[in-house]
Amino acid sequence: MIEVTDIVKRYGSNTVLNHATFQINEGQLTTILGPSGCGKTTMLRCMNRLEKFDRGRMKIGGVEVFGTEDRKLTAAEEKELTRRLRERVGIIFQNFNLFPHLTALGNCTESPVTVKGMQRAEAEEVARHYLSKVGLGGKEDHYPAQLSGGQQQRVAIARALAMEPEVILFDEPTSALDPQLIQSVARMLRALDDLGKTLVVVSHDMNFARRISDQVIYFEGGHAVESGTVEEVFSNPQKPETRAFMQSFHEDEPGAETQEREDAETKIPGDVGTHGH
Amino acid sequence: MTYHQTQFIAASPRRRVPASRFFATLLLLLLSPVASLAQTALQRVRQTGELRVGTDATYPPFETVEGDQYSGFDIDLVNAVAKEMNVRARFINSGFDGIFPALQNGTFDAVISSVTITQERKASMLFTDPYYDSGQLIAVREETQGISTPDDLKGKTIGVQINTTAQYDLEKREGVTVNKYNTIDLALLDLQNKRIDAVVSDAPVLKYMIFKSFRGLKTVGRRFTDEKFGIAVAQGNEDLVQEINAALRKIRESGEYDRIHEKWFGEAAERAQEAEAATKKPKVFDTDLAKRTLPLFLQGIWLTAKLAFLSLLFGLPIGLLLALARVQSSRLLKAPAAVYVEVMRGTPLLVQILFIYFVLPSFGISIPAFWSGIIALTLNSAAYIAEIFRAGILSIDAGQMEAARALGMTHAQAMRRIILPQTFRRVVPPLTNEAIALLKDSSLVSVIGLTELARTGQELASRNAAPLTIWPMVAIFYLLLTFPLTRIAEYLERRWRPITRS
Repeated sequence: MIEVTDIVKRYGSNTVLNHATFQINEGQLTTILGPSGCGKTTMLRCMNRLEKFDRGRMKIGGVEVFGTEDRKLTAAEEKELTRRLRERVGIIFQNFNLFPHLTALGNCTESPVTVKGMQRAEAEEVARHYLSKVGLGGKEDHYPAQLSGGQQQRVAIARALAMEPEVILFDEPTSALDPQLIQSVARMLRALDDLGKTLVVVSHDMNFARRISDQVIYFEGGHAVESGTVEEVFSNPQKPETRAFMQSFHEDEPGAETQEREDAETKIPGDVGTHGH
Repeated sequence: MTYHQTQFIAASPRRRVPASRFFATLLLLLLSPVASLAQTALQRVRQTGELRVGTDATYPPFETVEGDQYSGFDIDLVNAVAKEMNVRARFINSGFDGIFPALQNGTFDAVISSVTITQERKASMLFTDPYYDSGQLIAVREETQGISTPDDLKGKTIGVQINTTAQYDLEKREGVTVNKYNTIDLALLDLQNKRIDAVVSDAPVLKYMIFKSFRGLKTVGRRFTDEKFGIAVAQGNEDLVQEINAALRKIRESGEYDRIHEKWFGEAAERAQEAEAATKKPKVFDTDLAKRTLPLFLQGIWLTAKLAFLSLLFGLPIGLLLALARVQSSRLLKAPAAVYVEVMRGTPLLVQILFIYFVLPSFGISIPAFWSGIIALTLNSAAYIAEIFRAGILSIDAGQMEAARALGMTHAQAMRRIILPQTFRRVVPPLTNEAIALLKDSSLVSVIGLTELARTGQELASRNAAPLTIWPMVAIFYLLLTFPLTRIAEYLERRWRPITRS
C-alpha cells in the first residue's frame, strides 16, 4: 500500500504539488494520468526521493516520509531514509538513463555489486536472469549505444529488477519510443505486474493508460482529481476536469487502427535493430 | 596554460640590468632579511674549500658552457682568483632573472656574469673592484655607409639585448627606435635579415659573434660608453669582497690577468678567430655542429621529460580532487578549491616558480631547485587540470547521477562508478592539450637554474652563435617529447571507441 497524504511542493512561488492525496494498492498497476505540467512526474520523483516535498506525508511499504517543513531531518537521517526508500522503489526514467560506458550486463550488475555488496558472479547470474526475462538474452555484452530505444528501455527495466524492488516507477514509458513499440511496453508492464510488483506509471497517453492499468489516478493542477478503476475513470468520470480530459480523448480515439498496430508489433521480436543515437 | 616558448625567452636572461626587473626587486625586498641570518659566505667558502659562483653562461666570450665545460674570460678569471684564495671555484648556471635572488638567498657565494657595476645594484649588493672595462659598440651590415657614432643612429631602428645598458642608453636618445631581443645572436640575425639598421652591444661580444657566424656584418666607430664589470657578492659579506679584491690585485701583479685577457681579447685570439673564419664558411644549418651538440642536448631533454612527467603525475590526482571539491555542494570544500584555481590560474607560472624557490626559504622552507620546479609546475597545472575535469564532470548528463542514486548508490559511489569513468573518456583530448602545454611550460624553470631543454638550446645557440642550427633542433626535440603523449591519447581514444559509438 502506498499512501500519499496532502503533499505540497513549491518551486519558489510556483506550486507544483497542491495537496496531493491518493492511495495505491500493492501488486497493482496504477497509472497517474494527466496533461503535461500537472505535476505527475514531480509526484513520481518524490516517491523515491529524487525530489523532496515541503508538506504532507507519504508512506511506501514500511517507510514513512514527511514534508521538509513538517519534519527536519539530520543529514544522517536523510541518508538513511533515502537508502531505505530506494531499496524498495526502483524507477525507469523517461530517457532510461542507461550507463553508456557499461554493457547491458554491466548496467544490471553495477548496483547489486556496489550497493548490496553482492559477489560479481552472483550479480551476473541475477542480471542474466532478468535480461532474458525482458527478452534481451544474447544482448548482455552490447553497449547501450548499440541497442535500439526499445531494447534500452528493457535494459533499464532489468537494471531496476536486479535490485529486486517492491515498487517500480515508470516515467512516461511510451514517450521516447516509436508508436509501434507501445504495445510491447504494455505487455512488458503486464508481465511485471504478474511478478507481483507494485507498478506506478506516469503517462499522458490515455490509450495506453486504459490498456494497461488496474487503477487510474487523474492528476491535474498538482493534485489527484479522481481515482478508480479504468472503467470508473474512463467511462464514468465524476469530476468535470476528468470529464473534459476524457472528452478530448474520445475525439481522437484510434479505433480500428489499434488492431493494425498490434499486428505490426508482433512482427518485431526483440526489434533487433542496432540504431545509435 | 598560457605560456609559450617565446615567452620563456622573453622572461629569460639579460645582463647589466640596473636591477629594474619587477620580480627581482620584489624578491630582493622579501629576501633581504635572510642573508643576514646565515653564516657569512666567506666562512662557508673557507669551511668547504669551494667558491660557488653563479653565472648565466650564454655570453661569449665572457661565459659559455657546453655540457659541463665552462669557458670564457670570466670563467678563467674566477678560476685564477679561486686559486689565489686556495679554494676551488664551482660554477652554477642560472638564468639572469634569477641570478641575484639566488645570490641573496645563499645559493651562490658570488656572481660573475658580465655584470656592470651600477648605482642601483650597489644599493642591494656588494661589488668587487672592476675587473673589466667594457663599452658599447655599433654593428652594421658590411655595405652600410654613414653610421659610425651614436648620433648617426637618429631616425634608425636599432637592435639591442633586452634590459641591457645599450637599451637604456639608446632610449635616452631622441629619434632612435629600439628593438629589444632576448639574446644578441637574435638581434644580429635580424640585422643580417635587414629588418633593422644596426645593433648596439658590448664590444667584445659583438666582435666574437661577427667573427663566429655573422660574416656579413661589421663593427664601426669606437666604444661610446664606459662600463665596468664587477663580481657581485651578497650584502654583509665585506670580508669576502676584500679577499676577492686581494686576489684580483695579485693576479694583476703576477701577469696572470694579462695572460687571460690576451687569451680572450688579444691579437692572437683575434687572429685565431680570423683564421677559423677563413677556413670555415658559416652555414645556415651547421650539420657538424648539430652532430656535436646532440649528446649535450640529452641532459636537457631528460630533465624536461622528468619535469613534465612528474608534474603531470602529481598534477592529475590533485586536479581531480580539486574538481570533485568544486562540483559537490558543501561550500566548505567548494570555496577554497575555487579560490585555489583562481589564484593559480590568474598568476604567472614564472612568479610561482620564483616564489617557491626564492621566497619560501625566508619562511624556513628551503626546497632544492628541481623539486621547486616540480612543485610549481604541479600546483599550476593542477588548477588547469581541475577545470578540465570539472567541465568533464558537468558535461555528463544529470540523468546519470539520478539513475545511479535511484539505484541506491551514494553520491561518492555514483561519482566513482558512473560519472568519473565517463568523464575520463571525455577529457582525454583536453588533457592531452594540457600535458603538451605543461611540457613546453616546463622551460620556465630555467629561471631557477635548471638547464632543461630550452635553456640548453639558449646556451648552445649563444655559445656557437648559431641560432639557426640550435633552435630548430630544440623544436624537433620538443616535438619528439610530445609524441609519446599523443600516442597515449590516441590509444585511449581508440580503446574506448566502442562505448561511445555503435
